[in-house]
Amino acid sequence: MSTPANEWKQWLAENGPRLLLFARGWSNNRADAEDLVQEAILRMWHHQADKGGSPPDLPLVFSTIRFCGLNHHRSESRRRKREESVIYLNDFQDVWLDPVLEEDEEAILLRDAVQNLSQKLREVVVMKFWGGLTFLQISETLAISPNTAASRYRYALEQLTHELRRIKEDRHASA
Amino acid sequence: MQAPDPVEAILARLMPPALSQGAHFDIEAMIDELAGPEAENVVRISGKAGMKRWLVGSGIAAAIGVLCALLPMVDRSSEPKVASNLPHQSAPGLVLVSESDRVESMTEEGWQDDSEGVAMQTLRMNLVGENRLRDEASGMVVQISEPREEILLMPISTF
Repeated sequence: MSTPANEWKQWLAENGPRLLLFARGWSNNRADAEDLVQEAILRMWHHQADKGGSPPDLPLVFSTIRFCGLNHHRSESRRRKREESVIYLNDFQDVWLDPVLEEDEEAILLRDAVQNLSQKLREVVVMKFWGGLTFLQISETLAISPNTAASRYRYALEQLTHELRRIKEDRHASA
Repeated sequence: MQAPDPVEAILARLMPPALSQGAHFDIEAMIDELAGPEAENVVRISGKAGMKRWLVGSGIAAAIGVLCALLPMVDRSSEPKVASNLPHQSAPGLVLVSESDRVESMTEEGWQDDSEGVAMQTLRMNLVGENRLRDEASGMVVQISEPREEILLMPISTF
């Protein structure tokens, strides 16, 4: 029998990775990102209670994760510098994305470039590419126009292309 | 159909990792906990004395509404409440089931300087604080919503 709890668990299994990826942009490490996902799901549960209790739409969850992330950003800003130095030391294998194929050097290079994108560009790429959202949905999540969302996505791809080419040329020159 | 950007082809070879087992377990446990009392309440409310219970519940809701209106406007600072410790008993016969803040809408309003001349990004947020209380006698759950607006100033670290 399909209970609300089972529906939510199935929804979590399907969407957990993309929520975690988005939350990474608002957290200092993986554990914080997972806490952010949990907090957002708790808020979503109460929000959906008035709407039949079914799992929420992804754009709303992304928006809530962003809101929770902003809250954390503000409440912890005074400790940020100290925390970042600790995370830098302990964060060696803490990556946001995994290559589908092992030893995929090009994908690994691009992964680092995605992580280094500015937050504005990165969150559009994450929502569009791994979240599967349309530009209209992204625009509603970020309170920007669909054209701005599309522009940010294109600009992000240009930056990634440029960065990938630069790294390859550097390697070629030093080889 | 437009051909995918070469970079998109490489991005497709990257996948977000799954939640850790611990986090996944914690969230599922939370879902079970949240779902438990809800199901119990649905059964109780659907009894024969529904009308009487509805009246009792309405009375409680009205009383709480008046109480909230009479209370002074406490702590209107811009800090949204993130976490809360739920008291077991909020009033005689009423149990606080849940307490939450949710964001209704969020609008970016550009940059502005704070009192020290530091550039800050301004976000205007419409929030709704919600408390759900259960009447132990009737099993009715009453929800109290309190909308509010907050402005969040966030330091700009990148340009």
